[in-house]
Parts: sequence; structure tokens; C-alpha cells
Amino acid sequence: MTELPSAVRRHRPAPMVRTVLRRPAALVCLAYLALLVLASLAAPWLAPHGPTATDLDHVLTGPGAAHPLGTDNLGRDVLSRLMYGGRPSLIDAAVAASTVLVVGAGCGVTAGFLGGWFDRVFSWAVDVMLAIPVLVTLLVVLAVVGDHQVLAMAVLGVLVSPGVARVVRGATLAVRQELYVAAARVSGLGRRHILVRHVLPRVAGPVVVQVSLFAGGALMIDAGLSYLGFGADPPTPTWGNMIADAAAVTDRQPWLLAPPGVVLGLAILACGVLGDAVRDAGAGRSTTATPPAPRSRPSRSRASRPRKGTSHPPVPASRTDSSPALLSIHDATVALPGPHGMTTVVEGVDLDIGPGETVGLVGESGCGKSVTGRAILGLLPGRGEITEGSIVFDGTELVGADPRTVRALRGRRIALVSQTPLTSLDPVIPVGGQIAELVRRHHGGTRRAARARAVELLRAVRVAEPEHVATCHVHELSGGMAQRAAIALALAGEPDLLIADEPTTALDAGVRAEVLDLLRQVQRERGLAVLLISHDWKVISRMCRRTYVMYAGQVVESGPTADLLAHPRHPYTAGLLASAPGRAAPREPLRAIPGTVPAPHEWPPGCHFAARCALATPACAAAAVPLLEPAPDRGTRCLRHTELGKGDDRDRATAVRS
Amino acid sequence: MTERPPYVPETAADEGHPYAPDTAVAARPPTDATEPLLEVQELSVSYGRRGRSRHPLRPAVDGVTLRLSRGETLGLLGESGSGKSTIGKAILGLVRPAAGRIVFHGAVQDEDITHAPPARRRRLARHIQVVFQDPYGSLNPSRTIGQTLSEPLHITRRHTRGQAAARVSDSLNLVGLTADAAERYPAAFSGGQRQRIAIARALVLEPDLIVCDEPTSALDLSVQAHVLNLLVELQQTLGVAYLFISHDLDVIRHVAHRAAVLRGGTVVEEGTADRLTTRPSHPYTRTLLTA
Ligand SMILES: Nc1ncnc2c1ncn2[C@@H]1O[C@H](COP(=O)(O)OP(=O)(O)O)[C@@H](O)[C@H]1O
Ligand code: SF4
Ligand SMILES: [Mg+2]
Repeated sequence: MTELPSAVRRHRPAPMVRTVLRRPAALVCLAYLALLVLASLAAPWLAPHGPTATDLDHVLTGPGAAHPLGTDNLGRDVLSRLMYGGRPSLIDAAVAASTVLVVGAGCGVTAGFLGGWFDRVFSWAVDVMLAIPVLVTLLVVLAVVGDHQVLAMAVLGVLVSPGVARVVRGATLAVRQELYVAAARVSGLGRRHILVRHVLPRVAGPVVVQVSLFAGGALMIDAGLSYLGFGADPPTPTWGNMIADAAAVTDRQPWLLAPPGVVLGLAILACGVLGDAVRDAGAGRSTTATPPAPRSRPSRSRASRPRKGTSHPPVPASRTDSSPALLSIHDATVALPGPHGMTTVVEGVDLDIGPGETVGLVGESGCGKSVTGRAILGLLPGRGEITEGSIVFDGTELVGADPRTVRALRGRRIALVSQTPLTSLDPVIPVGGQIAELVRRHHGGTRRAARARAVELLRAVRVAEPEHVATCHVHELSGGMAQRAAIALALAGEPDLLIADEPTTALDAGVRAEVLDLLRQVQRERGLAVLLISHDWKVISRMCRRTYVMYAGQVVESGPTADLLAHPRHPYTAGLLASAPGRAAPREPLRAIPGTVPAPHEWPPGCHFAARCALATPACAAAAVPLLEPAPDRGTRCLRHTELGKGDDRDRATAVRS
Repeated sequence: MTERPPYVPETAADEGHPYAPDTAVAARPPTDATEPLLEVQELSVSYGRRGRSRHPLRPAVDGVTLRLSRGETLGLLGESGSGKSTIGKAILGLVRPAAGRIVFHGAVQDEDITHAPPARRRRLARHIQVVFQDPYGSLNPSRTIGQTLSEPLHITRRHTRGQAAARVSDSLNLVGLTADAAERYPAAFSGGQRQRIAIARALVLEPDLIVCDEPTSALDLSVQAHVLNLLVELQQTLGVAYLFISHDLDVIRHVAHRAAVLRGGTVVEEGTADRLTTRPSHPYTRTLLTA
């Protein structure tokens, strides 16, 4: 079948370890921690002096040739003590971290993965344990068991485990609910297999983050306990008791504080930075929900390429309305930053909307409908820009206009309703308050009048009990109700043009019909012009008298909706209509268009549809196809539109079926 | 074809139109339409944490009875929240039914699989498989297609490496992909291709039944056509049965032999897909038709 692009590259999310190691900060931290471990392990061989060898002739010297980091109050070599002292400190931290790893992460993964009674007991135990004060308990334990620092650190690990376990349980639960885990279960894979192969690799990141952040804390607590006199007894060095010794003589040799303080501080910092790096790496790697990576092809900056060919002199499709258009987009080209640099995603779009007219913009996902809508509002994502063309709204040119001009139009004269009402409504402010705020911003008036107007607007969009709904937050409303509220919000500024971007796509069939009826009603009552963006032909045919069809960034066809549906003048429109289920007898093959939509950086210089078109000829690929006028009121970007109604190409077109 | 959706122009069906549809061909009856494969009897499922919930549980599925023959497609039509997916999950053993029975008619014996223990469930995987709606969430992003597809073969069939690789490449070919797709990661594929891969995964174990939970709802119209064609073709060559869950009346009309309409967890109407989608008798089904 033809759907597989020829040059699909291998794309694998880089392994966590490599992603982390690519970060210089993480690399430095790892190197530092490794150095500490090596130095303390190799202390017996590398240390210039014994850890307890005293030299009373040279006490409290600063750094020098014989003692690189100086000596302490008994003349012991600070560097050597630092190296020997690292061992107990690091071992203690490692014991604590391992305890957390085994107890905390282990319980968290088990609870998250198994669920059921284990999870309930776990949650209860966590709640209980989180109420225990860690340090106090630790001191009590030390008082009972005496100077057993390793045991104390294990206890510390257990005390800290509930917090870690809870985080890990959450991460496990999230992975367990992934569809691919359900699919693995349906595939008959055993629990242990799923845990090891699918779940653990995904929760490893959060576990490493938690444990490494905790290891830093453990180092600090360990030093603190040593400082207080717990842990290894005096002549044996630890970083903690070195700090204690240094603190006793700060007035005579303040330098002494520096070596253990800096080494310890940096170690704690390194653990923290490492944890953050793992966390960031994990965030960058979560590829589950990302759309497909663009396929590899030598990238080309489309923005700089001459767009219009010379071999086909453009025959502009005439504007039909004699009345001046409310909105007139001419030859608009939009570029957005992407993985291939600034990429043209909308190219040479011409579109007119008359006052009070409802116009459809239809096409498949990614073809540039939303970007076109956003361009009108001056709300392009990222550093996107309109690189060519003009957008004139009610006599005002918006391209290159002062941002303040566009901002003043937004909401007040041009409003937006998007697919998810959740994005346009603020979750923390009651719906009525938001609408009232907009009413006041655009039209002034008292607070009380604005509130009354908000309720009136909610009633106008047929919200039952508008007074009550006005006091609700958006999450308390059903999908259809929230979309009504979003429409009320859009109407608050009494706009002349409403851009409705897939306003009903997220709604169920019954609610969809109601919201469409509502849109039609407000459109009629208020003389509102609507640009209705949708991929759904049913919605378009029900709502719009005139329609534009987009494909791969271009308007490929336009005309009165009924005429366009009955006599498509572009092979893409014809193919799309023919591929609808219902256009073939049940279980007979549907006439699918071969191939897939090219990504913006893959657009050919000629007709964007050529690779999938049954009617394509070499002329089609030779140069950009201008918008032609096949009939009054109609536009098409197809050189061979006259062939579409004829029988000649029937055989070839039939071969198109997959 | 008995009725055209309102937006489809009559005239586009002109003979000369390059994309004009075939003239209506009588639907082929399903193979062995009489041989039962799966029965769902009075099934009820409730969600909610036992013991903790303050609210009385409203069942997501409430006393649903369905039957499915070998090689047949049963459509489940309904709006979101009507309980379609829950029925599919109960059959797959992904949720525990509160009441009712699910009986699987295997080649050898009939078996109540309502509460099949995990070991038995794993063996049922050979017979019952799934294709989910979300082409992005249903494949593990960090494993190659080959790893994902061969996993069940190693575990449930104890295939050797070579046997599994051969079977995986067979399934990939069945769904119109080349065998080298096995070495790539999901990120290298578009939504339509991922749905093909999900179908290939369902096919590796040569199941009798595939639960298709809105398999084309996240896809564009033209991509949907490819995937629907593929599913129908596979049924005709392999004789696999589908429980086909969708909210789209046109899709159900196209793929299903019989269909049931769900609302609020209960079946409001059941019948041949053709009758149900053209001459519905229940008022609710009628509102779906005109929506
Ligand atoms: N925020 C964004 N950043 C970068 N590229 C984007 C962004 N939004 C959309 N695009 C790209 O712009 C093109 C058109 O997208 P869009 O207008 O959203 O299509 P439609 O609304 O028709 O589905 C697509 O190639 C898409 O990948
Ligand atoms: S211009 Fe040529 S390739 Fe493009 S749609 Fe028309 S016939 Fe097909
Ligand atoms: Mg969009």
C-alpha cells in the first residue's frame, strides 16, 4: 500500500543515560561525585599522610607545600583527613539512598502497579508515616542504639521512604494506565514481564530523581549528626566532625572550615543538579503523546523560495460579492519556526468574508486552517509571522500594523471560539465573572450592569439557569455547556467577526447539533460574520453558504458550498468526498486517496497534490499552480479541473483505490 | 447503499466522475454467520473505588446482552460515556464486571470467561485481541515495532526468535507495511500507519475476535478510508470477527453486519446495521441519524 513514505528514518528516543550525559552540568556533577568516591576509596594509597598522624610542630598551618590544604589544631593533614573522612560520609549517604530505593521506590512501584488491597494498605501506611517527625525520631533512635551511624542512616531512609514512595506510585500508576500497557495485557503478557519491560524503564527516571535529591539531603544530615557528636569517634575523621573541629578554632584559623565545607557543599549541590538533569531529560523524552516526527528530507527554507511559477499566468478568481468584504485576505503566507527552521505552513491564501456571512474553511488536520485563523487575530504561535500578503479587516490593513491596532480589534471586533472551551475559559474565575470583565473592558459601565449583561449573554446562548451557571467554574460544566459559555464570552465584546475553530469537534453528536444551531441563531440575530473552521463536511454543509477547501497550506478550491459538494473542481476535494464511509456499499472498498499529506517542509514546488493525484501530468509538477476560475464564483488550484467532470480519466482514477 | 448521508451530493455519483463510487453491490453475508463466537449476557460494570465512594455507583454498563458470530462484525454505536468501551474492556478482561456472564465459544468448548484467572486470560490472548482509538498512546515509544509485535509470540506461543520474526513480518505485510518497519520506533510513523501497526499487533496471534475501540476516530477522513478498507479486507481473507465500537453512524453502517445502539449503559436498539442506520425504530437512534 502506498501510505508508507519512502524515506522513513529510524527514530528512537535517546536512552535516558545518554540524554543526561549530554548535559554539561550533569556531566560535571557526575565527574565530581566519582572523584569523591575514588579519592576516598584510594585514600590509603594516595593520601600524603595518615588520617590521625599528628605533627604538633605544625598546627593550624594554612595551605602549603607539605600540607596542600593545611593542618588542623593537632597538626593533622587536612587533605588526608578529607580523603579518609569521605568514606564514612559517602557510605552513610549510600546506605540511606539504597534504603530509600528499596523501601520507598519498591513499595511505590508495587502499589502503583498492583493496585487493589496492597495499594489501599500502602496509602494508609504512607499517611501514618508522613505524620512522624523525621529528625526527632532519628535522634531517639540514635539515643537508643548508640553510635551506630549506618543503622541510623538506614532508619533515616525508611523514614523518608513514604514521600518518595508516593511520588513513585503516582508515576507507576500513570504508566500503568497507558494504552500500550493495556495492549500488552491483552497480548497475554504476564505481570512481571510487563513490569520489567514496560513499566520500570518509564519510572526509572522519577526514581533516580527522587533518590539523588535525597542522597544530597542524607549527606547533609549525616554531617550534621557527626557534628553533633554521633557517628565515628574523634580521631577517625568524618566530614561532619572535621567541620566541628574547625568550628572550634575559627578564631585562630578560619581557613579550616573551607575544605570540608566546600567538599560537602559541592557534593550536596551535585546530587541536586544531577536529579534536576535527570528530571529535565525525562521531560524532554516523554514521546508518548507527540505527533509523528517530521520525516527526514533535506530541509529547505520555504520562506525564501519563489512561490509563484511563471509558466502559468495567474487568472485570479473574481470576488463575487459586490458589497465590500468585512475581511479580505489576499495572498497571505505564514511561516512558523519548526524543526527545519522557519517553515512556510500557509501559502498564498485568498479568502473573503462579507458582513454577516458564514464562511467555511475545511480540510484535514495540519493543512493550515487554524494557523490561518490565528493569523487574522495576530495570534500566531511562537515567533510565527505573516511573511507576505495582506489581511484587511473593515478597511484596516492588519499585516504589519501596530500591534496595538490588532489588539484593539481582538475580542471587541474579532472574537475566537476554539475547539476546547477549557483553553478560552480561566479555570479559577467563575464563568460569569469572566464574561462581565470582558463586557466592562470593551464597553465600560458599572460592575453591576456588566454582571447583568453576563447573565443575559448566557441566557442568549441558551444556558439553562444562567444566574447559577454564572457562578460556576468551567470544570463544573459539561462539555456542551462550557462551549456555550465560551461562545457567550466571545460575544461579550459584540464582535463583527467570529472565528470558530472546530467549535464542535470535541462534542457529541446531539450536543454538536445544538451548538451549531446556537451559532446560526446568534449569527442571524446579531448580523455576525463567522469563519467556521472544521474538518467535518457535515458541519460545513449545514452551516456555510460559501466554503474554502485547504490542502497542504493552500486554498485549493472555493465556491458556494452546495455547488462545491456537487461538482468539486479539485481532485483533492473530489477524493476526500468520495472517501467518506457511506459513499460505497457496506464493506466494499472506499475510494481512499493514495498516499499521505506532505508535511510543510516537503511541499513540492508545483501542485501540492500532484503526488497523490490521478490526473497529474508533468505540467502539474513543473510550477506553482495559480488559483483559477473554472466558473463564476468558483476557484480551484488545479490545471486540469476541466477533466474532473469527464469520463476520460475514469480508468486511471479507479486504479487509485487502495 | 440505501441512503446517502445528507452532505453527499447526488451528482458526484455521476458515471464520469473520477472518484465516483461503485454502483451498489449486495453485501456479502458474513462467513458462518450462524456459528456463535461470543455471548455477553446481562453484563453490568461499575467504576469507582470500593468502600471509598461517597456516591452510590451508577453502573457504566447495565444489563447488556450481545452475541457475536464467527467472522461477523457487530457494531456498538453510542455517544461518549454510553458504555461502549467498557463493554469492550470487560470482554478483554481489563475491567471486572459486577454482574453477568461473558461466554467465549472456543473451537473445542464453550467457556465462561467473565472472571478468567490471569493465567487463563493470558491464553485467551490468542483468541481475543484489541485495537485502540489513540494511535499515539497505544504503542510503547521506546520499543521497536518488531519488539512490540514479537513479545506476545515469545511469551504465549514460545516462538523462537526466527519464528517470531517471520510471523511479525507476515502480519506487517498483511496490513500493507513492509517488514523493515519492524526495526523502527513508533515515532517514525504517522497516525494512519500506527493504526496499521496496532492492527498488525492484534493479528500476530491470529485471533478469532478483535475488539476495535473507535479505531478510526482520531484519523482524518482520507486516512480513515484506508484503515476501514484494510479492516474489511482482513475480515474477508482471515475470517476474524470484530466488535466494532464507534460513535459514527456512517462508519458503523459501512463496516458492521449487525449493530447495537447504547445509551446510558443499556442497549436501546439492536438489528442489522443496514436497518438500524437507515430505518431506526427507537427515537434515540433517530436523533443519531439526523444529528
Ligand atoms: N504551535 C506551533 N508551532 C509550530 N508549528 C505549528 C504550530 N501549530 C501548527 N503548526 C504547524 O502548522 C501547520 C498547520 O497547522 P494548523 O493550522 O494547526 O492545521 P489545521 O488547523 O488545519 O489542522 C502544521 O504543519 C503544523 O504542524
Ligand atoms: S494541478 Fe494536476 S496534479 Fe494538481 S490537482 Fe490538478 S491535475 Fe492533479
Ligand atoms: Mg486546527
